[in-house]
Amino acid sequence: MAKTYDYLFKLLLIGDSGVGKTSILFRFSEDAFNISFISTIGIDFKIRTIDLDGKKVKLQIWDTAGQERFRTITTAYYRGSMGIMLVYDVTNEKSFENIKNWIRNIEENASADVEKMILGNKCDLDSKRQVSKERGEQLAVEYQIKFVETSAKDSLNVEYAFYTLARDIKAKMEKKQEASNPPGARGGTHQLKSNDQQRKPPSWLSRCSIL
Amino acid sequence: MDDDLPTDFQVIVVGTGMVESIVAAACSRIGKNVLHLDSSDHYGGLWASYNFDGLQKFIKEVSEDPKRQEQVYNLSEKWYIEKDVSEEAEENKTDADPAKKIWSQTKFAAEYRKFNIDMTPKLLFSRGPLVELLISSNIARYAEFRCVTRVLTWLDDRLMPVPCSRADVFATDSVSILEKRQLMKMLTAIVGNTEEEMEQEFKDWNDKPFKDYLTHKGLTPNLIHYVLFAIAGGTDKMNCRDGVKESKKFLMSLGRYGNTPFLWPMYGSGELPQCFCRLCAVFGGVYCLNRPIDKVEHKVVDEGKSIVVIESKSKTLNCDHLVIGINECPKEMISPEPTESTDISKAVFVTNASIMPSEKEPLTLLRFPSLDGTDHAVTVLEVGPATGSCPKGLFVVYLITSKVTDAENDLMPYAQRIFDMNADQSETTEKPKCLWSVFYNVRDTSAPVASLVDNVHVCSGPDSGLDFDRAVEQAEQIFKKICPGEEFLPRAPDPEEIVFEDDAAPGPDFERTLEDEEEQKPEE
Ligand SMILES: Cc1cc2nc3c(=O)[nH]c(=O)nc-3n(C[C@H](O)[C@H](O)[C@H](O)COP(=O)(O)OP(=O)(O)OC[C@H]3O[C@@H](n4cnc5c(N)ncnc54)[C@H](O)[C@@H]3O)c2cc1C
Ligand SMILES: Nc1nc2c(ncn2[C@@H]2O[C@H](COP(=O)(O)OP(=O)(O)O)[C@@H](O)[C@H]2O)c(=O)[nH]1
Ligand SMILES: [Mg+2]
Repeated sequence: MAKTYDYLFKLLLIGDSGVGKTSILFRFSEDAFNISFISTIGIDFKIRTIDLDGKKVKLQIWDTAGQERFRTITTAYYRGSMGIMLVYDVTNEKSFENIKNWIRNIEENASADVEKMILGNKCDLDSKRQVSKERGEQLAVEYQIKFVETSAKDSLNVEYAFYTLARDIKAKMEKKQEASNPPGARGGTHQLKSNDQQRKPPSWLSRCSIL
Repeated sequence: MDDDLPTDFQVIVVGTGMVESIVAAACSRIGKNVLHLDSSDHYGGLWASYNFDGLQKFIKEVSEDPKRQEQVYNLSEKWYIEKDVSEEAEENKTDADPAKKIWSQTKFAAEYRKFNIDMTPKLLFSRGPLVELLISSNIARYAEFRCVTRVLTWLDDRLMPVPCSRADVFATDSVSILEKRQLMKMLTAIVGNTEEEMEQEFKDWNDKPFKDYLTHKGLTPNLIHYVLFAIAGGTDKMNCRDGVKESKKFLMSLGRYGNTPFLWPMYGSGELPQCFCRLCAVFGGVYCLNRPIDKVEHKVVDEGKSIVVIESKSKTLNCDHLVIGINECPKEMISPEPTESTDISKAVFVTNASIMPSEKEPLTLLRFPSLDGTDHAVTVLEVGPATGSCPKGLFVVYLITSKVTDAENDLMPYAQRIFDMNADQSETTEKPKCLWSVFYNVRDTSAPVASLVDNVHVCSGPDSGLDFDRAVEQAEQIFKKICPGEEFLPRAPDPEEIVFEDDAAPGPDFERTLEDEEEQKPEE
């Protein structure tokens, strides 16, 4: 089967529960908001292929599946991730303070060169705001991470955020490839699939007429 | 955060070991409301993988906490390298490639995150029950695997590759043409025969030693060694029935993914329980670590309905079924029937080269026949940086056997055969140098135990076997008791297959034009 993309990026969403991670993912992948069964069927990951400077980039974006609720993200969640959206809720001070904790969690578990971006979500709720945009910006400067305020509800900056993160990953990747030709893809690992030579008999069964 | 933890569940699972995690996933998958807890701050229990820092914590915990010593004991950790590398040694090595660096304890600590060291390292048979389950349930998408590249044995005082595939048999020059023919005939008989043919062939042999059968068939001593120790993973005492069963399992798994029948999970076996936990969470399971259980009680409520009540961190939790790891389960809930068990001796080594160098990074299973003629073969697994187990330039090697005296006594003679235990790192030696080791015994809690209460289900701990088959089998049995008649882990849909119908926002208009579509595209 022909590959329909030039790059595949695995992205994660991280942050306290209730900040709007799943909503952001939905806005970006389905262009929809307020789906009543978000909470009943967990979202595993969503896929959207975007066009970046003439290249097809397939984004595979993983949701936490609610495992962030009691800080029980599995180490497996972080494996192979290339970009992480750190999300807080501008109407929830605590979720903002916890960004630092999540960054530590990422440093402990994700690859050292993972690209990060901070999102201050629910910026449509200005009357309930607890965290000013300036504080968000300040935090981002402190960690040297890009920052933007978003609204999954009003579809504000969600596209921008994913395009920005994807572009940064692509740039980093292309720089690396230049430095170390051929591309240092890991290779050699297997993802188990149902049609993997299921019907091929074990090699011992093939007749050994030469013997 | 504690306050929004609900208190009533259909199923509460305590412990995140392999069996517990599979049961949690299976229950959640068919719509049960599941809470999954663990008393420690990480997933996996005795099935966990640790980075070097986590491993140090584990070692400290075991040496300080008498309760931990009920599961893990005789633990001894050893360094064979300096705390820091002297400038002098460093300078002598400047020309060398980074893979050949001189290691120190400080350098291990600096790269602690690159280690993933398993408490229960295990392989998957490519056509074994776990691979089939991962595929059929679609949980496979959470994991990645590498093929074991070779199977070795210890023969005539040295390491020897075991011909695995038909191509290997042809290629090897360690067996003669005549032997090749004998071997092929023998193995084809084991795989290819029908039930009746098998019955006929083995009816007089079943309880007799497999070795006698192989001898009777006229196999040469070398071939007997390959089949008995490496392919069947047996010992001199293995009976014919088991020998045939194990050989068949090995042979049937050939030719699916690589040159050997085995797969190794990337980043270690400890990833696998987490994959099942993720599925459980995706289907609504609630996760809470760091949550020790203080009390478990069985209660009969109205209309004779029986529930289990748990106290944890001064919170009361109720469930219809409790699934609990044997190490977490109150003793008074477990049936006192004695179970037969032999504890396990384990060791982990970090070395600076492979036990048998090869062009590409190897991933090795070595089946070491007993050196002293007893019934205790040793399983050796060697994994390298490509598996995510350790930094570049190092290998992690696991040794596992059944306990006779203690882990160090049981395993040191084997380690000495394949490693250089004392050499200076700058010397060139034939064998890889051991840089660090830990020996420990684990209590064998793998025998299934019955609970005294109908709706409490006890999960066994890790067994000393090579694969996860017993864990999968037990998990399915427990699931069937909790959810009789329900399907065990039916395929979870791919995200693309889930079609969302949004009630709030109306769908695209019937008459929407192409121009509208264009406008909807991201402005980039
Ligand atoms: C990824 C991540 C890592 C973090 N790591 C740390 C860390 O290492 N150290 C740290 O101090 N904070 C850490 N935090 C922050 C932590 O989660 C809390 O937000 C912070 O400790 C403040 O706690 P709190 O009591 O104000 O409120 P909460 O976060 O709401 O948690 C405390 C609540 O838990 C309940 N509770 C706590 N202990 C018990 C108990 N023994 N029995 C019964 N109920 C109890 C109480 O009801 C209380 O309301 C981390 C946060 C994140 C997101
Ligand atoms: N007003 C507003 N509400 C939002 C926004 N994003 C999410 N929400 C709401 O916040 C709640 C939590 O969102 P969810 O996506 O489930 O958060 P998660 O736990 O981080 O995945 C839901 O009720 C959402 O409808 C936003 O941008 N604006
Ligand atoms: Mg969510």
